[in-house]
Amino acid sequence: GGAMSLLKRFPPPAEGVRHQQPDTEAVLAGRTLGAGTLYIAESRLSWLENSGVGFSLDYPTISLHAVSRDLNAYPWEHLYVMVNAKFEEEETKEAPMAEGEEEEDSDDDVEPIAEFRFVPSDKSALEAMFSAMCECQALHPDPDDEDSDNDYEGEEYDVEAHELEQGGIPTFYTYEEGLSHLTAEGQATLERLEGMLAQSVSSQYNMAGVRTEDSIREFEDGMEVDIAPVVAGQFEDAEVDH
Amino acid sequence: MEVSHSVKERTIAENSLVILLQGLHGHITTVDLRDESTATGRVTNVDAFMNVRLAEVTFTDRQGTVSCLDELFVTGRNIRYVHIPDEVDIRATIERQLQAIHRVRYFGGRDKGRKEFPRAKHK
Repeated sequence: GGAMSLLKRFPPPAEGVRHQQPDTEAVLAGRTLGAGTLYIAESRLSWLENSGVGFSLDYPTISLHAVSRDLNAYPWEHLYVMVNAKFEEEETKEAPMAEGEEEEDSDDDVEPIAEFRFVPSDKSALEAMFSAMCECQALHPDPDDEDSDNDYEGEEYDVEAHELEQGGIPTFYTYEEGLSHLTAEGQATLERLEGMLAQSVSSQYNMAGVRTEDSIREFEDGMEVDIAPVVAGQFEDAEVDH
Repeated sequence: MEVSHSVKERTIAENSLVILLQGLHGHITTVDLRDESTATGRVTNVDAFMNVRLAEVTFTDRQGTVSCLDELFVTGRNIRYVHIPDEVDIRATIERQLQAIHRVRYFGGRDKGRKEFPRAKHK
């Protein structure tokens, strides 16, 4: 029959739906599966035809996805999804299924590939669909990745410790640490100097680390360095060599 | 040169050559996929898991058919090679990325900065 074993009835995902796109056609290997709703959820990608049957794809099986607006390649703008899996189809016979795990076969010619296209009636939604998929894919890093050592608890490069080894001069004090190194007299001097600086600095110049009257109100701790616009060479006149 | 907001991702990047790929933002790059298709486009993002996002892509599938894709996201697992463009100075790129990470560490705000460097190292 025409019904593909791929399609099952299931309820639409309720949780973690980053994007849902109604009125979206699903196409598998060039054959349309009908019109329905695409659910881009954190756990899996699902598509449900308006009749209530559909399919789901797990992100680890998705090798890539893309926005295609090239009408020469395919006549409608769509979200293209390539999956590392086989889907049983009546008509398109791929290479005959060997016994055992065909997906483990190192011969790339037999690597199973299924190409899905999701064609929304609202083409302007493609960007949002694409981005939602990127976000969800990032939630499913490859568990088989042998190269990465995921245990980084003890391995963070401690820049401070490294620099302390090199002569005991830390590159950076927090405000409290700096204060604790000052005598009472030193602290008083610091306050006086900062006050003078604050008065002389007009609102146009947001000098890093200087507390103007505005910033004093906001940052009780002081030394809140505004790094949002990082200027190359901004700290080149700092005392310590990097 | 954007640095990830995630402490874990920054650490992963700092300890692997993914940091080089992250320095390729804005460069036109060719990515060879595991299934022998290739994608050439402008790098818009590379995360710590080597997932690569490209824009304005020329995609050649494994049969050799060429098409254009506005945007492409390929998972790290499915990448075989990333061609580093000739104009990229590899060493300088890595150093620049490391500096960007260290800058974020120090100046992410007092509390955020401190959490990445617990005084007592626990191994």
